[in-house]
Amino acid sequence: MNEFSTWDILRNLGFGALWTIGLSLTAFVLGGSAGLLLLTARMSKKVWLQRAARAYIEFFQGTPLLMQLFMVFFGIALLGVDVPPWLAAALGLTLFSSAYLAEIWRGCVEAIPKGQWEASASLAMTWLEQMRHVILPQALRIAVAPTVGFSVQIVKGTAVTSIIGFAELTKTGSMLANATFQPFMVFGFVALGYFILCYPLSHFAAHLERKFHAPAH
Amino acid sequence: MLLRIDGLHKHFGANHVLKGIDLRIDEGQVVAIIGRSGSGKSTLLRSINGLETFDDGLIEVDGERLYAGQTDLRALRQKVGMVFQQFNLFPHLSAGQNVMLAPQVVKKTPVAECETIARAMLAKVGLAEKFDAYPDQLSGGQQQRVAIARALAMQPKVLLCDEITSALDPELVNEVLAVVKQLASEGMTLIMVTHEMRFAREVGDKLVFMYQGRVHESGHPKDLFASPQTPELQNFIGAIN
Amino acid sequence: MAYSFDFTAVAQYHTQLAVGVGYTLMLTALGAVLGVTLGTLGAVVRAWRIRPFAQLFGLYVELIRNTPFIVQLFFIFFGLPALGLRLGEWQAAIIAVVINLGAYSTEIIRAGIQAIPRGQIEAAGSLAMTRTQIFRHVVLQPALQKVWPALSSQIVIVMLGTSVCSQIAAEELTFAANFIQSRNFRAFETYIVVALIYLALSVGVRALLNQIGQRFVVKRRPA
Ligand SMILES: Nc1ncnc2c1ncn2[C@@H]1O[C@H](COP(=O)(O)OP(=O)(O)OP(=O)(O)O)[C@@H](O)[C@H]1O
Ligand SMILES: [Mg+2]
Repeated sequence: MNEFSTWDILRNLGFGALWTIGLSLTAFVLGGSAGLLLLTARMSKKVWLQRAARAYIEFFQGTPLLMQLFMVFFGIALLGVDVPPWLAAALGLTLFSSAYLAEIWRGCVEAIPKGQWEASASLAMTWLEQMRHVILPQALRIAVAPTVGFSVQIVKGTAVTSIIGFAELTKTGSMLANATFQPFMVFGFVALGYFILCYPLSHFAAHLERKFHAPAH
Repeated sequence: MLLRIDGLHKHFGANHVLKGIDLRIDEGQVVAIIGRSGSGKSTLLRSINGLETFDDGLIEVDGERLYAGQTDLRALRQKVGMVFQQFNLFPHLSAGQNVMLAPQVVKKTPVAECETIARAMLAKVGLAEKFDAYPDQLSGGQQQRVAIARALAMQPKVLLCDEITSALDPELVNEVLAVVKQLASEGMTLIMVTHEMRFAREVGDKLVFMYQGRVHESGHPKDLFASPQTPELQNFIGAIN
Repeated sequence: MAYSFDFTAVAQYHTQLAVGVGYTLMLTALGAVLGVTLGTLGAVVRAWRIRPFAQLFGLYVELIRNTPFIVQLFFIFFGLPALGLRLGEWQAAIIAVVINLGAYSTEIIRAGIQAIPRGQIEAAGSLAMTRTQIFRHVVLQPALQKVWPALSSQIVIVMLGTSVCSQIAAEELTFAANFIQSRNFRAFETYIVVALIYLALSVGVRALLNQIGQRFVVKRRPA
C-alpha cells in the first residue's frame, strides 16, 4: 500500500522545510526587534521598567517553549478569535527569541569597558547618544557571533511548533511517517533537513567567533 | 574665579571618602593634586564632571552649578573636559572621528566644521598626520594625545587630567607632558592628579595635597615643596624623593 | 468577552501535577548524570584527539547540536523500531535526553579542558604525578569547575526541553498538563499554572546545581 515514493517524501519534506525557514526568519526578525526594545528596557534607569523586562526574560528563559506556544495559542483563543497555528507559532517564537536575544545582547553591552561610558559621558553625551555612537557599535561587533549562534536555536525551536499543528518540517515528517509506515527513513530525512539548515549557521557562528577576536575596526 | 567647590562630601557605602572639600580655582590656573593612594584624588576629580555623584556640597564651574544628587549634567560637562589614565579612546573610530564625535553629536556642529576642528586639535597635539589611524595603531603616548585633542574639541573651560601618564611607558611620558605644558602656556585651566612632582613644580600654579579625604595643605608648588607645613606632606615629599 | 479565570479547576488535579513533576525531575536527574558522564568521556576523547573516537564524537556532537531534540526523540521512538529496536516511552525519553545532553556537555567540558594552561600539566608532570593523577586533579577537576555554570544552564535547558516527551506519551509534567486540560476544559489556566511550575523547577534546579557545584566541584570554601 506504499503509494509514496522516496521522491514524494522528499518533495513534501521540502515544502515543510520552506515553512520552517519562513517561520525562523519571521521569529528572528520580529524577535530581534522586540529583543532590542526589551534590551533598552532591561538597561533603562527606570527601576520598574528594568524589573518588568527582567521578569519577562526570566519567564521566557525559565519555561519550556512548548508551554509558551500553548499559552499563546489558548490565550488568544480566549478572546474568541480562531487562532491559525502559524500565527500562534510566529508569536510564540517571537516572544521566546526576544527574551534570549535581549539577554545575549545585554551581555555584549556589559562587556564594553566602563571607560567607554565614562569617556563619552565626560564629552556631555546623553545616554541615548552614548548608546548610539559609542556602546552599540562596539557591542554589535561582539554580538554578531552569538546572535548567529542563537539563530540555530530558533530554527530548532520551530520544530516544537509542530505540536500545535503548524505544518513545518517536523509536522510534515510526522504525517508522512504515519502515512508511509517508514518512520526510520522519514525522520532520518527530517533530521538531515534540520542539519542542512543549522550546520552552516553553527559553522558561520564559530567562524565569526574566531574572527572577532581580531582588532576592533 | 572659574571653579568653586564648597563643602564636598562623598561616601562609598560606609567609607567617607571626601570629608568636606573646599577649593577655589581661577581661570588659567594649573592645579596639581597630589596625595597618597586612596586619599580621594580621583573621586574629587570625577565629581567635578559628574562621573561620581556626591552627598553634600556644591560645585560651580563658570556659573554652572552642580548640587548633590543632580542628574542633568549636560551643561556642566560641556564646560569640563576629562582625560583618563587609560585613554579610553573609542576603538571603533579613527583618531579623527574620535575627536569629531562629540562636537558633531552633542553640539550639532556641521560635519565639515567638525573635521576642521578635529584637524586643528590633532595638529595641536602633534598628530596631524594620524587623522585616519585607529587607536590600536597608535602608541600609548599618541593615544593619550588623541584623548587630549578629543577633550579640547569641545572647547572646555577646564580640563581634568587623572594620572594621564601613569599607564605610559617611561619614554612616552614626556611627549604627553609637553602637550600639557603647551596647553598651560596657552592659558588653559588645568586640574591634574599627578605623580610627576617635577612637572607639578615647574608648570603648576597651585599644589593641592590631599590626605584622608581632605585638602590637607595647598599653595604655590615652590613654597609647598620648599617648606611643607604639615608632617604628612613632609612625609609624602620625603617618600618620593 | 467576560471570561472568568478559574484556577481551582487546575488545583484539583494536584496529584497529577505532582506525579508529572516527579517524572520530569527524574528524567532530568538521570539524564544529567548519564549525559554529563558521556560528555566527560567525549570531551577527553576530543581534547586528547584519541583516534578514531575523536572524529566519531565530533560527528555525534555536530549531528545532535544541529537537529532539534524533538526530532531526535521521534527518530529514537518511532524510527528505531524499524531496525527491530523497540523502546518504551521512558526508555526512549531517557536515551534521547542522555544523547542530547551528552553532545552539549562534550563541547562545554572540552572547552574547559582546553583552557587549562599547558604549564600546569607540565608542572604536575615535574612533580612526578602519574598520568591519571594529572588528569583527575590538574585537568578534569579545574575544567569542570570552570564550566560548571555553563553545564548547569545546559541541564536546565534540557529539563525544559523534556516537555516535548509528552508527545510520545511519557507521563511527565507537560503530559499531565495535556491530560488536565482535556478534563477541565481550562487550557489557558492549566498551561499558565504548569508554566509557573516549570519556572519554579528551573529556579530550584539551578540553585541545586549551584550547591552541588560549590560542594563537590569547587571543593573550596569561598574566601
Ligand atoms: N567605585 C568605588 N566604589 C567603592 N569605593 C571606591 C570606589 N572608587 C573609589 N573608592 C574608594 O574611595 C577611596 C578614594 O579613592 P580614589 O580613587 O579617589 O583615590 P585616589 O586618591 O585617586 O587613589 P590612587 O592614587 O590610587 O588613584 C578609596 O578608599 C577607594 O577604595
Ligand atoms: Mg586615582
